[in-house]
Amino acid sequence: MLLALTDTQESLWWGAVIGGFAVVLAVAALLTILVLLVRDIDRRVVEIRGTLQQAAANTSDTVLIAETATRVDAVLAEGLEHHLFLGRVLGKVRS
Amino acid sequence: MTTLVVLSVVDIVLLIAGLAIYLFIVGGQLERVATNLEECSELVGKIVRDAEVIEPGVERINRTGGVIAGALPLLYGMAEGIVTGATYEPAASTERAPARPASGRRRSRLHDAVGYAPGRRATAAVASPSPSEDEATS
Repeated sequence: MLLALTDTQESLWWGAVIGGFAVVLAVAALLTILVLLVRDIDRRVVEIRGTLQQAAANTSDTVLIAETATRVDAVLAEGLEHHLFLGRVLGKVRS
Repeated sequence: MTTLVVLSVVDIVLLIAGLAIYLFIVGGQLERVATNLEECSELVGKIVRDAEVIEPGVERINRTGGVIAGALPLLYGMAEGIVTGATYEPAASTERAPARPASGRRRSRLHDAVGYAPGRRATAAVASPSPSEDEATS
């Protein structure tokens, strides 16, 4: 069975085909832009991951701060012992 | 008409194939981004956990350091008091002058005992020695 088209229908079909190619090209261009942007995002995310790894390495020793505070408290306790000792000696020297 | 049909089919196939290829590429990229972002999220959590101990620890160190800094002047003040009290200070009146005999310069009597008077005749020296001669002989 053979369909016969009028000139107007054929022209419209050609228009639809050409429009379809244009749409394909536009979609390809837009998707290319999308791929480039996503690749840029991927590269930036990799940089952010590297920076975060460095930050994590820098903050990995913060548990030592509590230990340092304990040692500083020990210094204070020893200073109090020195205070008591000097107080005793000073009393003997003055008397 | 056959040409139109073929071109229409090609158009549709290109559209579907293009979409599929690009979506495959973008899907791979987004999967990689998601993996990296998940790792970033874990790193941020680790950093937050590590940073939570900084503030209380530093506050404690600052508080203790302030107490120590405030007590140190008292300590070295006491140490200065001890040093001042324990240092020997001789009295000013105890400094002795050079020792001199209270009777003045001593005169040796050994020469008189043997009758020797230098610079004078022996007879006069034995009879009466004068004070000036005593000074010469001493």
